[in-house]
Amino acid sequence: MPQPLPSKENSLFKQVVKNYEAKQYKKGLKSAEQILRKVPNHGDTQAMKALILNAQGNSTEAFELAKVALKNDVKSHVCWHVYGLLYRTAKNYEEAIKAYKFALKLDPDSAQISRDLAQLQVQMRDYPGFVQTRMAILKSRPHVRQNWTAMAVAHHLNGEFEAAERILTTYEDTLKSPPPKSDIEHSEAILYKNTIIAESGNIEKALSHLEAVMKNSLDRTAVMEMRARYLLLLDRKEEAQKAYRALLDRNNEYRAYYEGLEKAMGLDRTDDDSIPKLAELYESYAAKSEKVDAARRVPLDFLQGESFKTAADRYLRSMLKRGIPSTFANVKALYRDPAKRTIIEELVNGYASEQLTNGSAENHEGDRSSNKFDEAVLYFLAQHYNYHLSRDLSKALDFIDKALEMNPKAVEYGMTKARIWKHYGNPAKASEIMDEARTWDERDRAINSKCAKYQLRNNENENALKTMSKFTKNETVKEALGDLHDLQCMWYLTEDGEAYLRQGKFGLALKRFHAIYDIFDIWQEDQFDFHSFSLRKGQIRAYVDMIRWEDHLREHPYYSRAAIFAVKAYIMLHDKPHLAHESLTNGFTDMDSMDANERKKAMKKAKREQEKQEKAEAERKEAEKKAATKKPATGADGELKKEDKDPQGTKLARTKEPLQDAGKFLSFLLEFSPKNIEAQNVGFEVFTRKNKHLLALKCLLAASSIDSENPTLHEQTVRFRRTLDTLSEPLPPPVAKVIDSTFTLIPTSTSLSDYNDSFISKHSKSAPHVQAGLKVRQLLDSSSLPQNEKELLATLDFDTIELQDAKNGLSLLGEWKSGSEAREAYINAARKRWPEATVFADA
Amino acid sequence: MDIRVLRPSDIPNVQTANITNLPENYFCKYYLYHAMSWPQLSYVAVDVSRPPKTPYDPPKIVGYVLAKMEEEPADGVQHGHITSLSVMRTHRRLGLAEKLMRQSQRAMAETYGANYVSLHVRVSNAAAKHLYSDTLGFTIEKTEPKYYADGEDAFSMRMDLSDLRLKMQDSDDEDEEGSVGQDEGGEVGSAGKKGEGAEAEKKAKKRKVKMGRGLGVGELVERNEIQKA
Repeated sequence: MPQPLPSKENSLFKQVVKNYEAKQYKKGLKSAEQILRKVPNHGDTQAMKALILNAQGNSTEAFELAKVALKNDVKSHVCWHVYGLLYRTAKNYEEAIKAYKFALKLDPDSAQISRDLAQLQVQMRDYPGFVQTRMAILKSRPHVRQNWTAMAVAHHLNGEFEAAERILTTYEDTLKSPPPKSDIEHSEAILYKNTIIAESGNIEKALSHLEAVMKNSLDRTAVMEMRARYLLLLDRKEEAQKAYRALLDRNNEYRAYYEGLEKAMGLDRTDDDSIPKLAELYESYAAKSEKVDAARRVPLDFLQGESFKTAADRYLRSMLKRGIPSTFANVKALYRDPAKRTIIEELVNGYASEQLTNGSAENHEGDRSSNKFDEAVLYFLAQHYNYHLSRDLSKALDFIDKALEMNPKAVEYGMTKARIWKHYGNPAKASEIMDEARTWDERDRAINSKCAKYQLRNNENENALKTMSKFTKNETVKEALGDLHDLQCMWYLTEDGEAYLRQGKFGLALKRFHAIYDIFDIWQEDQFDFHSFSLRKGQIRAYVDMIRWEDHLREHPYYSRAAIFAVKAYIMLHDKPHLAHESLTNGFTDMDSMDANERKKAMKKAKREQEKQEKAEAERKEAEKKAATKKPATGADGELKKEDKDPQGTKLARTKEPLQDAGKFLSFLLEFSPKNIEAQNVGFEVFTRKNKHLLALKCLLAASSIDSENPTLHEQTVRFRRTLDTLSEPLPPPVAKVIDSTFTLIPTSTSLSDYNDSFISKHSKSAPHVQAGLKVRQLLDSSSLPQNEKELLATLDFDTIELQDAKNGLSLLGEWKSGSEAREAYINAARKRWPEATVFADA
Repeated sequence: MDIRVLRPSDIPNVQTANITNLPENYFCKYYLYHAMSWPQLSYVAVDVSRPPKTPYDPPKIVGYVLAKMEEEPADGVQHGHITSLSVMRTHRRLGLAEKLMRQSQRAMAETYGANYVSLHVRVSNAAAKHLYSDTLGFTIEKTEPKYYADGEDAFSMRMDLSDLRLKMQDSDDEDEEGSVGQDEGGEVGSAGKKGEGAEAEKKAKKRKVKMGRGLGVGELVERNEIQKA
């Protein structure tokens, strides 16, 4: 029970609560302390004081005090509620839920505590609990529409479609007169109900409900889309056709509408008989509007042969005549079909030679527009020959130089030229050209961003930051880099981290990958406020969309890419702990060639140096602290900025348990991107090092179901077999049994070397596969080195080998510690094939 | 390129498009705030032609318009506002900005009964100004000195939406006769002015609204209003 206070203190207490709510923390603290002088062990006051301390950023002190408060008054709902709130800010939602539940037991009618609890439950996806709490709220306050809607949401998310629908209908039935048409909350609640009916699978009912309510719906686009979809699902083709045509009249640039219409008309792109009708359909939409692109572009997807050529010619000419620089971006998807690729190449090369013979293909239209056409053709061809499916870099360079002659400061042309050099394998020159193009339009952030990206690809981290800082707010404590973190500039953080990793700067690399990880935490946290906000706004369909997106938030490549690199970095640190010490990787110390004793000594020395450095650093910081005013640093948004104690990521890199740390990235990776084969590949590497054989096997099996011929998978499978064959002590029988029955990737009757040889011969024309095979052979038999080196050299002549493969081959020679002769032979051959690539020129 | 309404799952890539192209940037939560408050108003242009490399590939966003309703309009008139609009440099001159704007404007009128739509544009941004005044029909209301963080002035522009509202009423009447199929809602594209389409890539918009991440959305809205006042 809350302890009673004398009346003066009681009114002071009310003041404290008000002060807290108004964020008048200093005042609140003062009043709280005044009460505590009179009644030192007053739990509620201590709890409120703790809450204020927490809001001021003193969370440790706050927790201590909240615990004291609870000791003094364990039956107070205020104390428990505060305890829950503290956990909530600390993001320990499970403990917060427990505390709220205690508070609610003591004060079952508190709307505030119930709402707080419900929010946490939906945030944690505890749907049964959420249903229960919303039910209690609804029972105590049934006159508020929001409580009905929230109840329906709870049922819906919990998979109870009928209950959700029933709740919404019950509320609707209480309405004596229909709300005005402009009532968005009502309009949305009705449409929300309709989506629930459709999701329950009863499309017939959803359609009739929709048709009954659509007149009063404010979201017309959604209504029309839903209706068209239902009609199509119900096979009511006539009406579906009309519905999709109506949608296309509103938005003729949405392929989903065209596809709906095609289906409603019974047309099928894979059926030859449909093609003329399809062509006619799109023709009719093209005729309706001068500006529509989709109706002109889509037919290129399904037309073939001569009719494709005619349509492509018309499309390309019209785009190029208008000098549209994005023409190539608009058609390059067609290049997956080699026949179409060839036709386009011939057509546009034809335009270029028309220019040569006639002066200009479109000369009847006068000089200005013909120049525009000529230039657009050159630019198109430069992009065409730069594209990986039609690459001929010297032609590309030739065309872009011609375009640049006509228009010397066209930023696009500069960007393309830089990209050509990137593909040549010369990141330095690419970066240089991009930087030049940047100066042609210094007010454009797009080229500025591109320039920074190319600088990072060339490992120029400092220059890149300088470039970025031209457009960032540089007033935060951490300046440009801080702004890029605050504004969640994912691409930059990722590229920055990768560039550091390439340079062996593990600390900074990990620092950036952790920043990406943390931003995903923020994005997950961001939904919190909308649990209540969306109920107030009444936009429930959008809210449910958001919940579902958040459920698989971390499947985004922004996460998986950073996570894969982070895991790889941790694996390297596990294998070679000295990599964490830059003094040991600066080229003067060759750790790999030392014996174990020498290595130990070097590590010891590095650690001593590190300790020395850290001590000096700590002393310097202490001195700074004393010198500085006590005011904590705040960022641009007025938020308290905690000092980063490890800006270089040194502590991250010098972890004692790199595999443990990798696990943080890996678990989300495997949970949300199980179909990403690289995720499974790196997962295997972590688990096999931890001797978690079952988990390692799980990764192999998952990878095999994605691509059973994956080169990394092949190598890992062999290693796994070898690990099993050379265990120091036998596996526990249940584990052995599972492995025996599920690990069938290599038939037990086959020897590993035979298995490997057949893999190599099966993929004898693919460099990555052959490399994997050679790697395995070297592993199985170290005396095969000369043969492996010879066969690795031969991969450089493969038709399909790419620069990256050749680079990987070079690292393989490093792993094998091959002699200089084999290395030189390899580098010479590679240089012949990629004469412009820096990696071989400098090697 | 598809033009369709923005979904929550588009937000990371919309955010990237924004910070790649424009100097005024926002947290993820600010995009969510738009998507959760007026989910009908924001649109994206999506390159749908790329074959996905993994099942997790997000849509390739090449342009977006982030739009809202003014919550407490100073003039008491319901109206929409364009928070941010941008099209990737690689996809310019396809008329995407215009098409995005037209969809958003119609939704403002249809769903929220907006009387007009307003926006800010840097006085130096000729391409954007051309799109707004010549292609779409915006007029300059006034110049706001030093509107942007870097000290540049903004044109405050607006466009009347009563035409769209009229069309809506017409089609409502048709609805009465029971045929949604006859809806003649403003056609995107050909309805615009003839001649060179949208030459607009870097439409600069509202200045960055500073907000603490820990703030509740309610407070976030409040601050936004205060800033404007």
